[in-house]
Amino acid sequence: MFNQRLTTKVVPLAVVFASAVLISSSSFARSNVYADFPITLSDYSGSATTSVSYKGQMARHALESSLKKLISKGDIAAMQSYYSGDDANRAIIAPATKGDFVIKQSTIGELSNKNLSGKTYKGLIPGWVGNMTGPEVVAFMFEKAADADGGYDPAHAFDYTQLVSKFLMGAVMYNQAVDNYLDEKLEADTKPNNKPYKDGAAYTGKEHVWDEAFGYFGAPAHTLTMSAQDVYNIAKQKDAAIADYNYDGKVDLYNEMAFGHAYYASSFDKGGKTTYLHDIVGAYMDGRDLLVAVNGRALSGSERDQLKGYAQTIKTNWEKVIAEAVFKYAGETYEDMVKIEAILESGGDVAKAWRNYAKHWGELKGFALALQVGGKDMGATSVKLNRLIGYSPLLLGNTQVTGIDSNGEYVQSDAETWGGYMVHMLKVQNLMVDEFGVVAKSHDQTAGLSELVKSLGAKSSAEND
Amino acid sequence: MTDFFANFLNPEKRLFIGYLISAAFIAFFWLRLVQKKPLVNIASGFFNSKVWFSKSAIADYKLMFINQFFLKLLTPILIGQLALTLFVFENMHLLFTRPSASIPVWLVMLIFTSVLFVIDDFSRYFLHRLMHRIPLLWKFHKAHHSATNLTPLTVLRTHPIEAVLFSLRAIVVHSLCLGVCFFFFANNVSLIEIFGASVFVVIFHALGSNLRHSHVNLGYWDWLEKIFVSPAQHQIHHSTNPKHFDCNFGAILAIWDNIGSSCIVSEKNQHIKFGLKEQSEKDHTLKNLIIGS
Repeated sequence: MFNQRLTTKVVPLAVVFASAVLISSSSFARSNVYADFPITLSDYSGSATTSVSYKGQMARHALESSLKKLISKGDIAAMQSYYSGDDANRAIIAPATKGDFVIKQSTIGELSNKNLSGKTYKGLIPGWVGNMTGPEVVAFMFEKAADADGGYDPAHAFDYTQLVSKFLMGAVMYNQAVDNYLDEKLEADTKPNNKPYKDGAAYTGKEHVWDEAFGYFGAPAHTLTMSAQDVYNIAKQKDAAIADYNYDGKVDLYNEMAFGHAYYASSFDKGGKTTYLHDIVGAYMDGRDLLVAVNGRALSGSERDQLKGYAQTIKTNWEKVIAEAVFKYAGETYEDMVKIEAILESGGDVAKAWRNYAKHWGELKGFALALQVGGKDMGATSVKLNRLIGYSPLLLGNTQVTGIDSNGEYVQSDAETWGGYMVHMLKVQNLMVDEFGVVAKSHDQTAGLSELVKSLGAKSSAEND
Repeated sequence: MTDFFANFLNPEKRLFIGYLISAAFIAFFWLRLVQKKPLVNIASGFFNSKVWFSKSAIADYKLMFINQFFLKLLTPILIGQLALTLFVFENMHLLFTRPSASIPVWLVMLIFTSVLFVIDDFSRYFLHRLMHRIPLLWKFHKAHHSATNLTPLTVLRTHPIEAVLFSLRAIVVHSLCLGVCFFFFANNVSLIEIFGASVFVVIFHALGSNLRHSHVNLGYWDWLEKIFVSPAQHQIHHSTNPKHFDCNFGAILAIWDNIGSSCIVSEKNQHIKFGLKEQSEKDHTLKNLIIGS
């Protein structure tokens, strides 16, 4: 009797429940690899088998990382060629084959013959001297780098390798992705989804917009199959096996390498406190899956809102990645300052510590400039950040670069005390916490103090004497 | 209510059960071996309902209870101490060079624990002195001095405003010590603790701090009473005799009183009447304790 009731009622219920789970899970299933998305344009007649394409973006990553090597060599013609030239045979200097980490491409043209200058943020860069636009800042830094030995100017503690690299990651990759592709190009009247991106293309307007934005982030296509540590190891060229997703024995810079901000996201996430990398790549994947489901028709209002929601997840997390980097390098700059002061007091040689100071400050400044080219009005935060960091590191004698003269030479003025500038670094860290809610907080200079206040701080008490 | 019971279970608090027990033992041995009191007298003194259920003691209990709620209001101020500590830490950069060489952890612990103890004790003395000397503050502190019977629980016979001032004092002192010591010793800063409380505080309480608010006239040698405040000295502080007014403000160390010419040593057979100069029965009502007469 009981068994009969069980089979008549419970079994059908279980079937209904199981089907519901299956249906819902299939409709929400997220693709694992950002590749091989089908062609949705019904009237496409070419030979392509997938609608995914973002080679130009990866070419720009290769240009940026090669440029980083070139700056330290001081050849201005080579710098300009990689920044604004059009030679398809420009060698990919970095990343280059290292041991069993074999890089598939050796020239920029094998990815896509592009440059960086055309995509550099054209607006004012208020955090740098001289009221310059993005491309002007780059040109100015190239000239200064060429004059300096190995891209390093110890007199002003400028490390142009770091400054240019981190600035370009912002002014090209971040700006193009968040202020262009994930911004106005998501509007209905721009690059619609029911038409090819351009005549004869295998992808729709919105599909390609989304793919280009993905490329600029710099993540390997198979990021979601890996841990943050794996992606970090790929960027460091330590793990060819995990990078080589198609088992062809080579690492393809197009879709198997980690670059730019994706690398930085992995470096923070591997600490376990954050999930920027997977949140960002996951949102890209969700957006791309949505476009596959839309299947080549124009996006409805709600579909576009959904896509914009994914874009917002990407923007917010990407901004946090850069803010985490600002936080980290403010902390490292602070640590360098403690070391330099101790060496000076003991009468030792400060050269090595000064080199590190310039390097870390260069990264700090580069990321701080990058943070401000996302197309968002940061208001007072921007002003505070630029004032706290200043136009150069604090130099011995408590001076700082405050501008340039008519010949483009740096002008120095009296600035903070050494301790005062260290406080500025602490305040930069506070600003990143308050304004961007950073969590990884690498090289946090006051974490220990917060812990102490928690464990040893005063507690309320009515005890009388 | 949990906060109320925490007073008896937390070794950072004077009313921690362990300290009450140790005080009872010390009192017993003192009364029996030094003062040669008969056992029966000691026992009746310990459990004297005229003391424990006097109007004065009942007023202690009422204030104790009410203060639990007032202290809850202080939570936001306690959160603010991180900001104050950071402020101190940041400003240290403008005055000193941050050292990079590390000092042995044990030495840092010893320095921090000692510095916190000395500054904390001085600040208690100083605020206590102000509570007596500034007429407005005396209006609040009077609630504590209106006790005519002293029991260990009298330690919590505190006007709510005074409780706020005590807590603010603690925040300032901790922020200062933590901010300064973190600047010099970074993450090595920690407290030498026993049962989660500063070793000095535990020693002070274990050695009978609860007898300060009691009728057990336990005094030290004169020379020692110029360094540490004895229970008998604190009882003098509660005296109604005008010649005892404004003396022995110290908490643990008597050196501050000694420097400030306010140290009075105890006498062997002192008989002290506790309370205010013009004491009235009404002084034990909650209204009078909080709003005043």
